[in-house]
Amino acid sequence: MGIETENKEIEIGIRENAKKLLSEKQVDVVIGYSEGTVPLSSTPIIIRKEEDVDKLVWNNLCYINIARYLAPLMPQLCDSEGNSLKIGIVAKGCVGRAVNILATEKQVNLENIKMIGFNCNGNVNRSRIDLEIGEKEILEILIVDNDIIVKGKDWEQKFPYDEYINELCKVCQVKSPSATAESCVGECQELESIHDEFADVAEFETKSAEEKWAYIKEALEPCTLCYSCRQACPVCYCNLCFVDQNLPVWFGKTTELTDVIIFHLIRAFHLAGRCVACGACSSVCPVGIDLNIITRKLEEIVKKRYNFTSGLSAETVPPMMDFSMDDEEEFMLEED
Amino acid sequence: MEEKILKKDEIGKLYSEFGSEYNFYAPVKKKGNIVFEKIENPDDIKLDYLNSRIPPKSILFPQSEVLFEYSLDEKDVEITDRQDLDEKYMILGIRPCDAYSYVLFANFFSSHGNWKDEIYLKKKENTTLIGIGCNTPRTTCFCTSVGGNPFNKENMDVFLRDLGETYLVEAISDKGKEIVKKLSWLSDANDKDVKKSQELAKQAEESIVTKMDVDKIVNTLETSFDHPVWDEISEVCIGCGSCSYLCPTCTCFDVIDETDQYEHKGRRIRIWDTCQSCLYTLETSGHNPRDTKIQRCRNRIMHKFSYYPTNYDLLGCVGCGRCIMVCPANNDLRDHLRKIEKIEKKEENVVV
Amino acid sequence: MTETIVEEKKVDEKWEPKIVAFLCNWCSYAGADLAGVSRIQYPPNIRIVRVPCSGRVNPYFIIKSLTDGWDGVLISGCHPGDCHYISGNLVARRRFAILHELLEFFGIEPGRVNFMWASAAEGERFATLVKKATNIVKKLGPNTKFKKEWC
Repeated sequence: MGIETENKEIEIGIRENAKKLLSEKQVDVVIGYSEGTVPLSSTPIIIRKEEDVDKLVWNNLCYINIARYLAPLMPQLCDSEGNSLKIGIVAKGCVGRAVNILATEKQVNLENIKMIGFNCNGNVNRSRIDLEIGEKEILEILIVDNDIIVKGKDWEQKFPYDEYINELCKVCQVKSPSATAESCVGECQELESIHDEFADVAEFETKSAEEKWAYIKEALEPCTLCYSCRQACPVCYCNLCFVDQNLPVWFGKTTELTDVIIFHLIRAFHLAGRCVACGACSSVCPVGIDLNIITRKLEEIVKKRYNFTSGLSAETVPPMMDFSMDDEEEFMLEED
Repeated sequence: MEEKILKKDEIGKLYSEFGSEYNFYAPVKKKGNIVFEKIENPDDIKLDYLNSRIPPKSILFPQSEVLFEYSLDEKDVEITDRQDLDEKYMILGIRPCDAYSYVLFANFFSSHGNWKDEIYLKKKENTTLIGIGCNTPRTTCFCTSVGGNPFNKENMDVFLRDLGETYLVEAISDKGKEIVKKLSWLSDANDKDVKKSQELAKQAEESIVTKMDVDKIVNTLETSFDHPVWDEISEVCIGCGSCSYLCPTCTCFDVIDETDQYEHKGRRIRIWDTCQSCLYTLETSGHNPRDTKIQRCRNRIMHKFSYYPTNYDLLGCVGCGRCIMVCPANNDLRDHLRKIEKIEKKEENVVV
Repeated sequence: MTETIVEEKKVDEKWEPKIVAFLCNWCSYAGADLAGVSRIQYPPNIRIVRVPCSGRVNPYFIIKSLTDGWDGVLISGCHPGDCHYISGNLVARRRFAILHELLEFFGIEPGRVNFMWASAAEGERFATLVKKATNIVKKLGPNTKFKKEWC
């Protein structure tokens, strides 16, 4: 089935389910994606009335992880007394995972959430397309059959879809939300674990320490520490981020290499076992930094050591909230 | 002043002429983004660009900048001010919208004569701007709605117009005239060149598709502080601050201190800050006057389109469209301004 | 690129690394004390910071030590099952596992940051492991990567 056809079916499914949930008053609002006003983007939208469901779209340009609006809960999703409304979420796999993680961490009550699941077929890699198009203005972007057609004023270029989606989408194993039937309508699944070889991480690990440092240094060179990655992340919801603390000041906030690398290192550490590999951090970066290899490494660590994949269920305890006498300690210093 | 012609392959000669005396900045392509960087190799200069990702404010107002350094010995604190403020800067290839932003910077950093930020003002005094007109504005550009123009040469020292194979060079200010005099190897422009540049200017102005009645918006905003339109406008904002970071007129900064406790020295640094951060207005008492997203989103638009015109008679937006392009949630400023345009102003709500 | 990396590793013979050691009060600190009282020699490169439990060690301590210019970090706690606070060291072990993997992933040389268990009765073991850690860090050379530059 071509991507174009898949998208149309997904859209129909989303709109039907949204309409059903709203008309049966199972939800008060539905959050999803709508058509963007500039190419290579989409706007999240809150639908309050049945007649507006046709504004919901799925066009492979839906980068924001909508679970981001659940913690802290957006004022538009609360009633006049500040309690959560009943919310329907258009959930691709990673959005569903994020909702599960937030439920585990008691940031969200699953009784108020209904996921409108569908089988996600990926998002277009916007920074890669921008890079290849260069200094020409993109006026339109379409998915036709299995190709991405990018149009300008008097030019057109075609890209094969499978090659030009986000790297994380290429290796995604949880395309539709993993949730129970009570919290999900549409396409859902109940996964207990996934199987992943993490070949890309293994390949990165063959580099020497110097090569890894050089790679990370080069990738993070344009970083301006704007914190968009942190703001877009659905599981980064701390009231006071570690980097903003000033009693004491732990780490610097300048654009020196040390400060930049440390911010990303510690944010990655805080996401261990919680990151849902949605790629929103890379998609929202204003200078186009793509650190999906770190996301993959985080997933690999918890899978390898604790056989855990984040967000498959709201019941399992994440590895950083747990411990065991039998944990591996091969990294510890021992006598010869 | 007589116009001159600079051939496109002679751009490197500009660098050889001025690169040693000035900190020579020009647009380069770095990892897919056009940014203004200090040039080491003139082949890196890329002047046929739409607009830079990071605005050229980053040259004179970098993301992190040392204000002063200090060191402690047993009795005394020794403060070392910046020593490099006499260095000269030359910025090649700046667009008219970005050049206008320096006017707003001058206003911010000299606060109507009450306080002068020596660091910025000294650097700006030693800066020469060689601007270039926009032959093909983007669909997201709206400089003509905010008092600008793709070929506006007002804030430049020297202005270049891209004629295809060559640039038409015009000296605007006295500083610019000195620069052009030094470039004695430039050939003279003829009437055909001048006429072509005027046609290109007209074409560029007509090609701008985004047009808004900004005067009406400024007027309407005077009485729209409590209007429910702000709920709609702020709905999907994620508070990332990309808009402020990439805005050529955003000047807010935070001041942090760094200390090396082992060697008893430290420095005070200023870094870019954004009013979209929830910590921006957090006071030491714990009170936060802008603790909701709605207030913060409203503040950004009001600051640029209401407070600035009211207090300084200057519009706080240059119409470059970067915020529209980069917003991850696709919060389109044009849509917001059009929503505000449509509000009917109620006379009884005028706040004095 | 490879050439400069090899050159950096040529360390001055006389250079001594500075290692900060976070020792848990009940086991490792007592173990270090026992080593001292028993006159067991171990390298003086470590500077000890006493914490109530290895679970108190916040990963920020480790990373801040590296940015402050320390050449190595050593964290030592009670053996699993022996923690004075029952499970503090088990919590710490998970944290260290992930931090260790992430630091290595980012290109910090393996061996700069070390974790170990040493009980109050193991003065000899403490000295042996500290010697081992110091040797490893000495071979790695001074910490240049994370150290904040003051220009």
